[in-house]
Amino acid sequence: MMNLLFDLRYYVLYPSFFNSVIYPGLIFTAILLLTTIWFERKAAARVQMRVGPYYASKRLGGFMQLIADAVKFVFSEVIIPEGVNPTLFALAPVLAVAMSFIPLSIIPVSVIPPSGSVFSIYFRDFYDPNIGMGVLTGLFVQYNMLLILAIESMYPVFVIFVAWVTNNRFAIVGAVRESYLSVSYDVLLIMATLSMSLEYHTLDLAKIAQSGIPGILANPVAAIVFFIAMLMGSARFPFEIAEAETELVLGAYTEYSGFLFVLTMAGSYVGNLVYALVFTDMFLWGWYPLSGFPGALLTGLKASIVVFFSVFLRAVYGRYRIDQALRGGWKYLLPLTFVSLFIGLVVGYIWIP
Amino acid sequence: MDSIKIKEYKKGDSSLNLVTGHLKAVGTGVKYFVKPQRITLKYPEESLSLPTGYRGMIRLYKDVCIGCTLCAMVCPADAMKMATDQGKKFPTINYGRCVFCGFCVDICPVDALKETGVHDAAFSSRRELFFSPDKFNQDFDQPPVELLVKKVKAVIDEEKGIKYVPDTD
Amino acid sequence: MTDQAEELMKSGGMEIDVIPVSGELNVGPQHPGSGHLRIYVRLNGDIIEEAQVEPGYVHRAVEKLGENRNYIHLIPLVERPAILDSIHMNLGYIMAVEKILGVDVPDRAQYLRSFAAEISRIASHLYGMGILAIFIGHSTGFMWGFGDREVWVQILEALTGARITNSYVIPGGVRRDLTPTIVEMTRKAVTYMRRKIKDWENIFLNNPNVKARLQDVGIMTREQAIEWGAVGPNLRGSGVYYDVRKVEPYAAYSRLDFEIPVYKEGDGYARTLVRFEEIQQSLNILEQIIRDIPEGQILSDRFFKQIPPTRLKKWWEGQRRVVMPGYYASFRPPKGEAVTRVEAGRGELLYYVVSDGSAKPYRLRMITPSYRSIYVMQNLLKGVRYADLVSIYGSLDYFPPEADR
Ligand code: SF4
Ligand code: SF4
Repeated sequence: MMNLLFDLRYYVLYPSFFNSVIYPGLIFTAILLLTTIWFERKAAARVQMRVGPYYASKRLGGFMQLIADAVKFVFSEVIIPEGVNPTLFALAPVLAVAMSFIPLSIIPVSVIPPSGSVFSIYFRDFYDPNIGMGVLTGLFVQYNMLLILAIESMYPVFVIFVAWVTNNRFAIVGAVRESYLSVSYDVLLIMATLSMSLEYHTLDLAKIAQSGIPGILANPVAAIVFFIAMLMGSARFPFEIAEAETELVLGAYTEYSGFLFVLTMAGSYVGNLVYALVFTDMFLWGWYPLSGFPGALLTGLKASIVVFFSVFLRAVYGRYRIDQALRGGWKYLLPLTFVSLFIGLVVGYIWIP
Repeated sequence: MDSIKIKEYKKGDSSLNLVTGHLKAVGTGVKYFVKPQRITLKYPEESLSLPTGYRGMIRLYKDVCIGCTLCAMVCPADAMKMATDQGKKFPTINYGRCVFCGFCVDICPVDALKETGVHDAAFSSRRELFFSPDKFNQDFDQPPVELLVKKVKAVIDEEKGIKYVPDTD
Repeated sequence: MTDQAEELMKSGGMEIDVIPVSGELNVGPQHPGSGHLRIYVRLNGDIIEEAQVEPGYVHRAVEKLGENRNYIHLIPLVERPAILDSIHMNLGYIMAVEKILGVDVPDRAQYLRSFAAEISRIASHLYGMGILAIFIGHSTGFMWGFGDREVWVQILEALTGARITNSYVIPGGVRRDLTPTIVEMTRKAVTYMRRKIKDWENIFLNNPNVKARLQDVGIMTREQAIEWGAVGPNLRGSGVYYDVRKVEPYAAYSRLDFEIPVYKEGDGYARTLVRFEEIQQSLNILEQIIRDIPEGQILSDRFFKQIPPTRLKKWWEGQRRVVMPGYYASFRPPKGEAVTRVEAGRGELLYYVVSDGSAKPYRLRMITPSYRSIYVMQNLLKGVRYADLVSIYGSLDYFPPEADR
């Protein structure tokens, strides 16, 4: 019996499983997703002279409203428009969401000390030679910064796919906007990441976080650029351009209803979380100075705050026009990334071992 | 005519202005997030008592009415029509048509009509919207005030815009 | 799999034009950014080549109905097209009827008309700003517009007895008098609004995001504005000093001191600034009115004398409201015609009433400000980016029911 429990614990806590399914993977993300949407609605309501969700559970501040909405969406009819390929139509949002989840299992959320943590038994399997410690992540790759961004940059392709299968004019205009945007924010993300990797002499997120020097101090320019690119990349205000309710009727997702609609919405929130986790590791110290499970919680907490702040901006901004966003990206932020590269080189040389 | 001033606004913000503009906008958002100014009325629990003279639903005082038909004549929506009841003429009202302009109340020479201030009555069929003189002659049921509903009244506040204070009277 | 889908699949679905190099979009009548209006847009890439504005979805035949109803019956009807600016809609019509009847309106009633009209203007501008805000995605502006409007609606409710369907102005005067409570409410509301306007500036007007969406968008030069027949804030946003309140003062405006904000640029931001400053001017006007309002009757003597004395005692002395003498039920004005103009929230509103001596008008013509914006919008939409459609629409403060009547 004890053995069985131990085995179970061994497998449940095994980082490849734990990270991709429990934390920060599926389960945690699903909960955080609901919380984020709840927070978004509540925060916007507070700013906007309203109360927001309330009656579904007064004591929880209306949190249950999200569950109720989700249940309602699940049971509402999925309307498949005529003239589309039903298989692809149903598959597209599923693929998009699945895609957005993948990076979660590569992001390091904490380090594993050789002993003293529940994860210490996996120390050897997830050993990171750069920092001399284990890394709590689904799959440890030394070049995880690049891998995460590479996978995440696939997401817009799926948005375009979604728009293409729905064969709706508004959706296609939305997809065109998304494709323009994705090119510009991807460049910014990669440049900001690159300057950080130059600064910390590594492509390993774990090393940056574990170095004990918060990236936001070492390279604030990169942090700003990364944050703005994150807003663009996850369709947050003021860059909610590809969805644009009043212009494009939700862009690529126009034709979706019911459960499929929930999936399409979930994708951008998950994307936001991925970027926020990377942002936390890269600029906000990640789990440092904790380690093990508490460290992972700290990372999650910081990332949630980043996500919350980015959804809060809904209450402050409208949306830019696509050309303004592109101009901002290419004309103002791209030169800034060169500055951040330079800062990265200089500060990395002087300060960071 | 006074002097004509044609203004121009300053175009093209400097990047410093841009940054302060963004900061101010986010700052204002945060300010309201921390200290919200809510004006939502939690309706089923709080019910608004309306100012005196509110043009709500109308009731008839049958014993006062002299059957002069003025109210039916002035009614812009043809909601009020005359009906003969035991040889006397009385107005009837169809709330499906009434627009609550209050003209009928204002024109009645003997004040046989009254604005009740009830505005949230519910009906379950269209036929019920029609009030015969006898039905018209009754007060409306007020919602059960003591149990659930807290009567509040809206007052204008210099800081919060609208505030709801418990209505004591 | 449906037949069509199979057909698509055979060819790999490749004949769907992925990028609408040129294509049509039906914006409306069921579109979150259109209101009760259809805008048929021909796109070339992101640029609108041509936009056809097609109104008429909420046409209510107000003018035709007007020919079949007594004069008094039309009061609630003419309000309906622009329900959020109902005082102005009502006022213009009543002024035309009064001209035919030849009634003088007492001073106090004139001031009260201006009072109600300015509140209505503030409420209407806040509404317009809210719609503009949500069109460009700024949900806080939307909620604030509607939330702050509520303050003014409350005052109107206390004054007239209804939130928006006020039916407040009647031939010869107004129906209810100002009470000390309402004066107090207005004072507080003015203070509140002045304070809130600062936050409005921070989060909306000076927000770089909003500026970017409105500046240099939908530019209408002075000449174009005059040629296309723009009215109200849209005209004044293009540098034309024209306001009916100054040009042809009605109600108490000749005795009130206020400025007409005029901006030169003619773009969406200038129009928004004009609206915004008009709100501030209206606040000043309200303060002047509650300070200067003369004592006296609120209904012309001619009708006042017809009210039975017992009723006068009960209503006028008791509740400061006048009631209607039986005359109103179906009065017959002499033969004649009248044209009146008022500066409604969205601009000049014109009424033309012809009386043939019967109890019903022979003809009622109303030219609403939004009606005049249709052509303006159609012209402004040519050659702009698709995303600017909503910001031009919003900055013109076009209100479909008002245009359709
Ligand atoms: S309130 Fe107006 S619409 Fe209603 S019955 Fe009276 S006159 Fe007719
Ligand atoms: S106006 Fe008054 S008295 Fe005359 S019929 Fe109507 S309710 Fe009766």
